[in-house]
Amino acid sequence: MKKKKMLLSQETMDTGFIRKVETLSDTSVRSCFQCGKCSAGCPMATFMEHPPNRVMRLLQLGQWQRVLAGRSIWYCASCETCSTRCPNKVHLASIMDALRKLSWDAEGPSKESYVQLANKLFLQNISSYGRQYEMRLAAVFNVKSGQFLKDMMLGPKLFAKGKLKMFQRKNKNLTEIQKIFSRIEEMRKKGEAL
Amino acid sequence: MNDTLKYAYYPGCSLHASAGEYDLSTRELFSALGISLTEVPDWFCCGATPAHNVDELLSLSLCAKNLELAEQVEGDLAVACASCFSRLKFTQHTLEENATKRKQVEKAIDAPVKLDGKVKHLLEILAKDLGLERLAASVSKPLAGLKVACYYGCLLTRPTDVPNLDCPEAPTIMERVVEASGAETVAWTHRLECCGANFTLSRPGVVLQLTNAILDSAKAAGADCIMVGCPLCHGNLDIRQKEIENVYSAEYNLPVFYLTQLVGLSVGLAPDQLGLNAMIVNPTPLLKEKGLL
Repeated sequence: MKKKKMLLSQETMDTGFIRKVETLSDTSVRSCFQCGKCSAGCPMATFMEHPPNRVMRLLQLGQWQRVLAGRSIWYCASCETCSTRCPNKVHLASIMDALRKLSWDAEGPSKESYVQLANKLFLQNISSYGRQYEMRLAAVFNVKSGQFLKDMMLGPKLFAKGKLKMFQRKNKNLTEIQKIFSRIEEMRKKGEAL
Repeated sequence: MNDTLKYAYYPGCSLHASAGEYDLSTRELFSALGISLTEVPDWFCCGATPAHNVDELLSLSLCAKNLELAEQVEGDLAVACASCFSRLKFTQHTLEENATKRKQVEKAIDAPVKLDGKVKHLLEILAKDLGLERLAASVSKPLAGLKVACYYGCLLTRPTDVPNLDCPEAPTIMERVVEASGAETVAWTHRLECCGANFTLSRPGVVLQLTNAILDSAKAAGADCIMVGCPLCHGNLDIRQKEIENVYSAEYNLPVFYLTQLVGLSVGLAPDQLGLNAMIVNPTPLLKEKGLL
């Protein structure tokens, strides 16, 4: 990766963004003092261009665009190791949630598309069926990501073991579930929730 | 004892599909132990990782509504899946601490939030509510000589203050439960490491790398098999094991049991009551060798 110079000034420090992240995650971005325990224990750090402690530092410095544009936030597995070990009680896993939400709302400026696609399909399954429909999730993911043969060899094996359900009944509470989705959307339109 | 243990039961989506044997063995084991489980009527998806990943309010609302549905059934809420367990506990924790989020959720589900009901993972019910002594007293076929690597993964114990199932860094609840069933447990390095969970769909390469390290560690510690309490961990370790062996030129052949399957064997349940035939890594040779079948 080409090294870019980072200019820091009062203007580049977007404290408004930090506050938004803190409201969503209910934890303090400013408390991080860079001990690095989060990155040391992170199982996904090797897959990230900015390991968790650097994500925190970039946020503190107002460089959130670099964080949202990268893959790191989508490679967090939500394993909660960082939140468990932080000596300053920064709930980093919740900060990752907040960052993904803000990136998602901005329609994903991130380069990582597969994880976002999987999330989208998962949520679509909830609003169309009420429960996960694993078979459909995997099939639609393969089609939409253009990986038609991904895990093809597993299919027959899982089917033979009764692990793939071909059909999914719609949940009886589906209308109620869809109402939850639409009420949240409405609250956001009115500015009652982030 | 005359007090029958009664629970509302939230199986979660996986247990009705790819983890059918976890559902089956849970029902059979609990019935054998005289614990009553009543499924929450028309429960729906808790949102799992994808929902809280991009929309915490949605995740909290889906869980709060499920908690409300669970109120219809008598007893604490028994949860089998580690991910559902974590989400439901997170919801209770967050809504108790944060009044703004609580108000938003109440608006989203159009009902007051109820947080008094207790959410318990199956392990908690076996180890604490039933108790290890009573569990041990129900054992008719001790799992003698079986060396088990107990795999906790992420969400059963982390973060501190949320699941409150056991210590987040050095838990022993799984070991205690399976030792009460007569098995031996091994000390190993990767019992709390992440398996990559739902990256199995989007980035399977990540899962292969993480699970390979887990299987390698269990094998090196001399384990005969792995025990889990989460359908995602199970999927990644069992369903993908052959692929991991191919990619990393390794040979593990480690059957991956759900905790209810191993405890079920020890109380004398038959393989078809525990769905052992649904496991991808065949456990029959191991169980025959140990004289457990």
